[in-house]
Amino acid sequence: MPKVVVRVFLLIASVAFLALPFINSPVLNDLTFRICLLIMVAISWNLMANAGLISLGHSAFWGVGCYATMFAANLFALPLIIGLLFALVAGALIGLIFTLLTARLRGFFFAICTLGLSEGLRVTSLMLPDLTGGAVGMFLNQPIPRLEVFVLAAVGAFLCIVFSAFLTQTRFHFACRGMRNHEGAAQMLGVDPRPYRLAVVGLSAAMTSYAGGLSAIYGAYIDPSIAFDLRVTVQSQIAPIIGGMYTVAGPIIGAFVIVVLADQTRVLFGSSEGISQLIFGIILVLAILFMPKGVVGLWERWTSRRVAGSNTPIQHPLVHPKVTTAERTP
Amino acid sequence: MTIALRVAAAFVLSLCSLAQAQEPIKIGVVLELSGRFSAFGHTCETGVKFASEVWGDTVAGRKIEFLYNDDQSDAAATVATLTHLISQDKINYLMGPLSSPIAAAAIGPWRQGKPIWFVPGGSTTTIEKEVGPEPMFFHTLPYAYHYYKTITEALKYQLDTTKKKVAILYVDDNYGRTHQPLAHQYFTQAGFEIVAEEVVRANSPDLNPVLTKIAQTKPDILLGIGQTTDSVTLAKQLYTRNLNIPYLIGPGSTQLREWQDSAGEAQEGWIGIAYYVPGVVNWPANKDYPRVLPSTAEWEKMFEARFKYEPNYHNLVCYINIMQLLIAIEKVGDDKEKVAAEIAKMDLMTPMGSGKFAPTGQGTLNQSFKDMMVFQRHNGKNVLLFPAEVATGKIAVAPR
Amino acid sequence: MNFIGQALIDAILLGGIYTLMVMGLALSFGVIRIINFMHGEAIMLGAYGAYWAFALYGVDPLLVLPLLMMLGAAAGYVLFKTTIAPVLNAPHENQILLTFGLGLILTNVALILWTGNERSSNPPYTFASLNFGDIVVPVSRLLGFSTAAVLIGAMFIWLKYGELGRASRAIAQDRDAATLMGINVPHMYAFSFGVSTALAVASGAICSFIFAVTPFMGFDMLVKGFAIVILGGVGSVIGAVAGSFLLAFAETAVAYYVPNGNGWSEAVAFGVLFLTLLIRPYGIAGRPAAG
Repeated sequence: MPKVVVRVFLLIASVAFLALPFINSPVLNDLTFRICLLIMVAISWNLMANAGLISLGHSAFWGVGCYATMFAANLFALPLIIGLLFALVAGALIGLIFTLLTARLRGFFFAICTLGLSEGLRVTSLMLPDLTGGAVGMFLNQPIPRLEVFVLAAVGAFLCIVFSAFLTQTRFHFACRGMRNHEGAAQMLGVDPRPYRLAVVGLSAAMTSYAGGLSAIYGAYIDPSIAFDLRVTVQSQIAPIIGGMYTVAGPIIGAFVIVVLADQTRVLFGSSEGISQLIFGIILVLAILFMPKGVVGLWERWTSRRVAGSNTPIQHPLVHPKVTTAERTP
Repeated sequence: MTIALRVAAAFVLSLCSLAQAQEPIKIGVVLELSGRFSAFGHTCETGVKFASEVWGDTVAGRKIEFLYNDDQSDAAATVATLTHLISQDKINYLMGPLSSPIAAAAIGPWRQGKPIWFVPGGSTTTIEKEVGPEPMFFHTLPYAYHYYKTITEALKYQLDTTKKKVAILYVDDNYGRTHQPLAHQYFTQAGFEIVAEEVVRANSPDLNPVLTKIAQTKPDILLGIGQTTDSVTLAKQLYTRNLNIPYLIGPGSTQLREWQDSAGEAQEGWIGIAYYVPGVVNWPANKDYPRVLPSTAEWEKMFEARFKYEPNYHNLVCYINIMQLLIAIEKVGDDKEKVAAEIAKMDLMTPMGSGKFAPTGQGTLNQSFKDMMVFQRHNGKNVLLFPAEVATGKIAVAPR
Repeated sequence: MNFIGQALIDAILLGGIYTLMVMGLALSFGVIRIINFMHGEAIMLGAYGAYWAFALYGVDPLLVLPLLMMLGAAAGYVLFKTTIAPVLNAPHENQILLTFGLGLILTNVALILWTGNERSSNPPYTFASLNFGDIVVPVSRLLGFSTAAVLIGAMFIWLKYGELGRASRAIAQDRDAATLMGINVPHMYAFSFGVSTALAVASGAICSFIFAVTPFMGFDMLVKGFAIVILGGVGSVIGAVAGSFLLAFAETAVAYYVPNGNGWSEAVAFGVLFLTLLIRPYGIAGRPAAG
């Protein structure tokens, strides 16, 4: 596609996207809001996965953001945007401390630790009711600033998208890819993984905390099981996987698909919780087995096959999952 | 021609108002139909469905449409569902959610439209603080403090309570955390000595250590504040341990069939509390609405014939609330403010006694059904202990 | 306040049950080098199997246990061949996410079929207990412990002397050498996975009369399972036994001696996990783990 067309299209899409919160339709706003949050979470998970760090505990950062923002709003009566800044900082801090502690761990062990982090934080917030309200939870002490919440969500999602697109052009991105493929080999090539890990996890955590903070304000009530909800973890993985892991467009497409799917199953199936989670599980399994590069991968294969005389061998994703042809801006 | 025009206009106008009149009255029913609290959600759903069957299809000349929604015992799903109902479906009337944490999560979206809101549940006082004073909010289950006031009065009626020792075991969730301070307060005021207070994690598989610690204090009474899984685990593991604590009180689940079935023989001797126990009291039929609010015995017969099992209080209170709502709409039409005012001043006899709403004195404006009964499980049946007018037996010591 | 006798008994009985739960996980990680995130669901399904056998037909969980184990083994074998074998050579992420997804499917199928209400089977010995002075030994736990001991003992004997058991150990030691020795490795993988599932199902059946059964019980067991396997040393079966007892002792000690200890006992598994990974990532008895 000619670059100019793509650029114009992106410009129009961005403007439309940022204008959506100002249309006063509560159902549309609610849907867009949840999509924006999931875009941020999916991009952040994707960022970590791109560096070889699989996170099974994204709900940890989400929950930290929830509590940080609630504290700021309730205890200090700060405007929402300051509260979200708290969330960003708190999330990044937790991410950085966690990375320092797990510096030597890779792959499966790192993943298990992230799970431990999210569950550990949940139990801790239950056991410290004087600080967090415990199981009784915390209510927001002010009316929900709806317009602000929607605008900040759209802006946040937009910035995340732009940022992740920008990152792919930098050395940072290639260092992460190297780490993903083989951290040891990358080290031998002169890439010190530690600062990259810190940066990746810190940024990732901050994004997710921001999203968590927004969701806490929107719901006006949190408790440990809401804040550290495992469903955040599940959705944070499925969205990038179904959209296309390691790509820029993947998390965005995945976020749309997942939120719309969750809504439709709720409407269609008399809303049994089990059914929507079941569908997510099936999607996850099928995606890993047959479509590991997600929707973006399918698109790439379809467009590359149409190019006559293309010499690109069709790489079977199961055999060559590490080699991706979709590592560029859409 | 002018006459023809006028007739046509009148015809069109009447068509329009007819179309308007055909729009159904929507009643949102958001319940825990799946997830942790599904037992409560299903009993309420049964009550609502029964009410809609008994009442019929129409009220105030329009069709009734119940919009059933599952909040999945999950806060995020509740927010999304309720937002949809209030903004898209524009409901004026809402029943549920029931469980304390989910009802708490519903408060945010409820505020966007403030439909008339019946909550036959949510015993936690945090809800009272947040929405109690709202005129659209109708709380139709006792709050936690009602529970412990009644329990302590029942114990004083049935036992010599001088120097009796109480151990409190509470679950670390919304229910346990809000009930425990009130239990502590009321028991202390009633002259009991609280010798142990232990918190347990929700869904804890192993209560042995806590039970051992409690046993060492040699309590006379054990108060187990928990629901669903935890109350079953407690009953079973306590029974196995042979701790010989004479009196066991379980305010959360003892009245539920699910608990009784799961606990098996361990249920013997447990003391529970509810504000309706079938087959005990027979309130008379409502004089003005005998078909929809029959006598208690009559209602129980109708329910059992229709559903083939004994009703419990959630079936009945949800039935009654729907009838109260429909009676009010029938009287004053589909105007939210007027209906709320009508319900607030109603004084109807129901199969559960007087359905009149009154302030609690602790924050809630519209509270009904707060007088509870205390019963004990004897041989798989309920024996009523309190109040004196309905008592059918004396308190017994638990077998182990 | 002297709890020590009771605490010891509680810890030992719990340790036996944990060992059975975790043994399958240790086996699948040691032999197949696969991270199995649906291990917890196998336990959950075993528990439901025993519950329904009891609720519908009145069959004692311990009697139906062998049947459940065989069903579990067959299901594990088939599942492995169809869905997991393809990702054996894929990066770890794919394995993690695939088994995680499978676990999610199983949990929610159970939730849809059987609802989230808690269940427990109540065979006659559920409420019996043996009293030695102040110390109470619940018979149900004792039976659970004994069954676990028998099964684990049988497994150790099989590993040491059984044909396929020795083949499994060979593969665990060196996959390529085992192939060269004529062992049909892909077949053995599926077989080991079947055994691992069978052990999980057995532990679930035992749990059905000790703990409450819900579709979500698998997840809690899974996290503890990982903590134990890592503590004991990834790939070591003896390590799994040691790790189970250590975790059981740690949890029981916290529950008895720390104020509000029961509330914190859930966090013990995570604490153990973190500490092990920070101090000695390959655990007590494991070899240095590959990344």
